[in-house]
Amino acid sequence: MKTVLSINNLSKRYGKIQAVDHLSIEVKEGEIFGILGPNGSGKTTTLSMVLDFVKADSGTFEWFEKRPSPEIRKRIGSVIESPNFYPYLSAVNNLKIIGDIKGIGYDDIDRVLKTSGLYERRLSPFRTFSFGMKQRLALASALLGNPELLILDEPTNGLDPQGIAHIREIILQVALHGTTIIIASHLLDEVQKVCSHVAVLQKGKKLYSGKVSEVLSVSDCVELASSDTDLLIKTISEHPKYKNHEKSNGMLLVYFEGETEPAELNEFLHMKGIVLSHLSDRKRTLEQHFLELLQENK
Amino acid sequence: MIKLFKIEFRKILTYRVFWILTGLYFIFLGLGIFMAEFILNDWVNNFNKRFPIPMPHVTLYFFPDIWQNLTFFASIRYVLIFPALVVIILITNEFTNKTIRQNVVNGLSKRDFLFSKLQFILLLSIFVTIVLGIVIFFLGLSHSDAQQFGMMSRKFMFLPGFFIQILSYLIFAFFFGFLLRHTGLAIALFTLYSLIIEPVIYYVLKIPFLQPNNVSPYLPVNSVLRIVEYPSIPFLQKFMGITLQNSVSLLHCGIALMYSAIMIGIVFWLMDKKDL
Repeated sequence: MKTVLSINNLSKRYGKIQAVDHLSIEVKEGEIFGILGPNGSGKTTTLSMVLDFVKADSGTFEWFEKRPSPEIRKRIGSVIESPNFYPYLSAVNNLKIIGDIKGIGYDDIDRVLKTSGLYERRLSPFRTFSFGMKQRLALASALLGNPELLILDEPTNGLDPQGIAHIREIILQVALHGTTIIIASHLLDEVQKVCSHVAVLQKGKKLYSGKVSEVLSVSDCVELASSDTDLLIKTISEHPKYKNHEKSNGMLLVYFEGETEPAELNEFLHMKGIVLSHLSDRKRTLEQHFLELLQENK
Repeated sequence: MIKLFKIEFRKILTYRVFWILTGLYFIFLGLGIFMAEFILNDWVNNFNKRFPIPMPHVTLYFFPDIWQNLTFFASIRYVLIFPALVVIILITNEFTNKTIRQNVVNGLSKRDFLFSKLQFILLLSIFVTIVLGIVIFFLGLSHSDAQQFGMMSRKFMFLPGFFIQILSYLIFAFFFGFLLRHTGLAIALFTLYSLIIEPVIYYVLKIPFLQPNNVSPYLPVNSVLRIVEYPSIPFLQKFMGITLQNSVSLLHCGIALMYSAIMIGIVFWLMDKKDL
């Protein structure tokens, strides 16, 4: 599979703050790649550097396995930080400027305005738009000309639930056509719902990256007790999803990779000749898991 | 280049502030050109009332002197500053609205962005010069006798001189816009520098003991203004001892163009180095 974006050892410092710290990320064709991290973790700075309006202190990056250039940026649709448009120009004229810059003409303008639900207001100046409409115009501008890659920085930031749902629906529709998408977000829920792959950032460093189902999987925790604890440990560690365990108050806390069903566990142990005296499911929420990820790396 | 023009033109097409300022500029330019003779003669009349030696009335609109006279009145600081403010606003707007970022993200190179602004400056300068040329031609035609008409082209060179004036002054504004990036700050400092700070420096540098290395005429705005230094009015020579130019000051054309080249160079270098 072709690599769409590869970032190698990218760093950027703003005064005393190391905004991005030797970051390496690889995004493959067709992925919906989430860059997840709390505010100030370096998501926007990273995107600013790869889109060439902020200079990296060190490190390199490549688009579509080529050195970055303005020509390559024409193949990318992006929404960065806040919607940036000429306030006194209408939605249509703002999009026409982008059409001119990208050299793709104006044929696609009506379509993206309809997709984003702004067609009726297309002749109004940008400054008269509500925040939600501005955000939607930004998305429309990114979709213009069906780019191969879509980069969205906090696309649902500041929107009401209805607006969020609308934008997510558009993103998923675009993804269906095989467009690669990179989304930066501080919302775990958003990444979880939309992305296939994820990199978790904190203080400019990458903590984890990989498939969403692996990185953000609910690692289950189950409380077990049996008459022979040592045998229980030995047996449960043979379980395919076993991760690790700890003892507490005569109970055994066992962590699993991915989801496990109590019934399935019970059956597994029973087959190996162990009779449980206690079994209790202690699922952690995703939110807890994400916070723990960040906590571990403080 | 046509692509850059299209982009730039769309940015100003429905921008009211641009049209208001440009409109005001042409009104002031027109007033300056058509009122100059009247105002000067009003002043001469007042002078003649108080002094026994009468001063002759001024005529500005005959060939070939009209080239020199009107390019002079079209290039006084207070008129030239209007298009300069337009240039500053169009540049700093891109930073305050962060649209320059969006332009670059969408695939415009920083260089092309700078070229689009320079192209706008060039076209505006050409347009104003052509309008001025047409006004001079018809005004001269209606005020000249046959003999003067025969000398029509003699001082034509003042028109290209004016073109270099407006072009290099607008490039000076371009420099301020990209250096300061904030609309208010850039407008305030540019206006202060053009109208107050440089004139003060000019006179400070003229203090006698600094005379041997007097650099006053070579300050940026001053060198632009000296391309067409005075109108061709005989009493300036007779009563004030001013030497009138017969042609454009090529020295100051050269200095102004040199400043322009340096400023453009600095802007390109800065834009390459700094984050947007």
